[in-house]
Amino acid sequence: MRRRSSLPVTFLVPTLVILLVLSMVPTLYAIVIALQNRELSTTGYSWVWCANFADLFFDRRFLNAVWVSVKWEIVTVVATMAVAIGLGVLMFEVAGPRLRNVYCLLFIIPVLLPRVSAAFVWKFAYHPLYGIATYPYRLITGGLIFDPLSKPSTALFAVASVDVWQWGLFFAVIVLKLLETLPPQPIEAARLDHAKRWQIHAYVTLPMLKAPLISLMFVKMIESLRSFDLIYVMTRGGPGVATETLDMYAFSQGFIESGKVSYASAMAVLMMIATVITFTMLWKRVQA
Amino acid sequence: MKPYRMRPGRLIAKAILALAGFLAVFPLVWTALNALKNNVDIITRVPRLVFSPTLANISYILGRDSVLTGLCNSVVACGSAVLIGVALGLPAAYAVARYPNRFAGDIQFFVLSLRFLPPVAVAIPLMVIWLQVGLYDTLPALIVTYSLLTISVIMWLAIPAFQGVPKEIEEAAFVDGYGAYSVFWRIALPVAARSLIGAIAFSFVLVWNEFLIALMLSSSNAKTLPIVASELSQQGMNVPWGILNASVVLLSLPPLLFLGVLSGFLNSVFRQKKS
Repeated sequence: MRRRSSLPVTFLVPTLVILLVLSMVPTLYAIVIALQNRELSTTGYSWVWCANFADLFFDRRFLNAVWVSVKWEIVTVVATMAVAIGLGVLMFEVAGPRLRNVYCLLFIIPVLLPRVSAAFVWKFAYHPLYGIATYPYRLITGGLIFDPLSKPSTALFAVASVDVWQWGLFFAVIVLKLLETLPPQPIEAARLDHAKRWQIHAYVTLPMLKAPLISLMFVKMIESLRSFDLIYVMTRGGPGVATETLDMYAFSQGFIESGKVSYASAMAVLMMIATVITFTMLWKRVQA
Repeated sequence: MKPYRMRPGRLIAKAILALAGFLAVFPLVWTALNALKNNVDIITRVPRLVFSPTLANISYILGRDSVLTGLCNSVVACGSAVLIGVALGLPAAYAVARYPNRFAGDIQFFVLSLRFLPPVAVAIPLMVIWLQVGLYDTLPALIVTYSLLTISVIMWLAIPAFQGVPKEIEEAAFVDGYGAYSVFWRIALPVAARSLIGAIAFSFVLVWNEFLIALMLSSSNAKTLPIVASELSQQGMNVPWGILNASVVLLSLPPLLFLGVLSGFLNSVFRQKKS
């Protein structure tokens, strides 16, 4: 009876066509723009083909942005997973059902915040003179000033901490839920063998959760690409270029500093190619 | 679960958890408190817990035209994009979940891969396109762009929700003479409703929080609330801290309203996995 229905076609085709149009038009057009020399200030343009891409490889700020983006990915993904697994296991071990529910609610709150809000909240908190997060430092050192957002060595980590605050706590909830779905028998068996609690998790539960944890990491890697809001509000890529990721640099090239839309688009296209290839390969691996 | 480990370990573990719980909400609570403070009480070397509260910041925020326009724009843009996402995403998800064909895997991957696209890569060409067709800085442009987000996210999350509906119920309805469409309307939608609402709420939060695309596609008329809020901070060095905090609170409230729905959604996803 299901076979003969027209439902799959009428339900699926319009949506897929719209999705394809909405995604392919900007994607292809991004490539077209990248091959031209458009600027915001003028309407005329000509084709320069690969000149923008060639310029990029000699642009030291671009290379710096690539490096900052890679650092950002690694720092946020690793820290998020570490926080998530650590807190998830702790909740599983020492919190009763009611307390777990309370923690789960609390830990979901940061990720729901608009990133702009989260960025502001922590920008205030990191203020060297009046911030609440720098207050303990002022208290201990008797009024010395610590300004994490304007020191090149700490700025990236200060911004990354906000990202981990949002995602690490949220993922801790998911890790807990994953642990709760496990059958109790292997854990009981390990316990009978006098395994310590941390051993049970290191050798039994977490290996059992390998596949979902890898998927979780995959999700975080994708979400880490969206660092722009945090960086735009908290540091604007500064101090200097210490936190200038690729999307921040593309934005400032295209809109703040010079209005070189084509140059910015060339950067965006490179980013797009890199992420699509990487994530497609990773996804096929995760699925396999 | 019987505690058999020594006490100190458990105590430390509990302390770490309590600290994490505190860190999760305290910065936000502090922001809310700052929204109620006069500037004198905010700019202090030692944070003040006791102060005489004022509503001046909040009333200033709510009285500003730019904030109200931003709020309206956000509500209209996000609301319409979510409605479009529901109208197009839910049926498509149902078709993928219930009428499997050999492209089902590819379709799912395509929908997910839309999330890989860097927002800048979408925003730059769209800005040029909208400028050329004369829709730059209008809500329709923003709604169309956001629909790409909402359709794909709703579809992605609704597929498992529809798969979670017991097949037997649908089969029984077919036997009772329901057509394919009425099974969708009268059976699948109501049964999956709880998970679907979670998926829809999630997509709303996602577009409400969106910043980069809104920043690039608007210059004055179509600014959404996050843009307006971020601009408030750029009023020079003499920052009106209380006002900024108040605007952060206003911006954060709508997503937090969905806290209950979304945590229920999480629970239902994992309950499904367990069974």
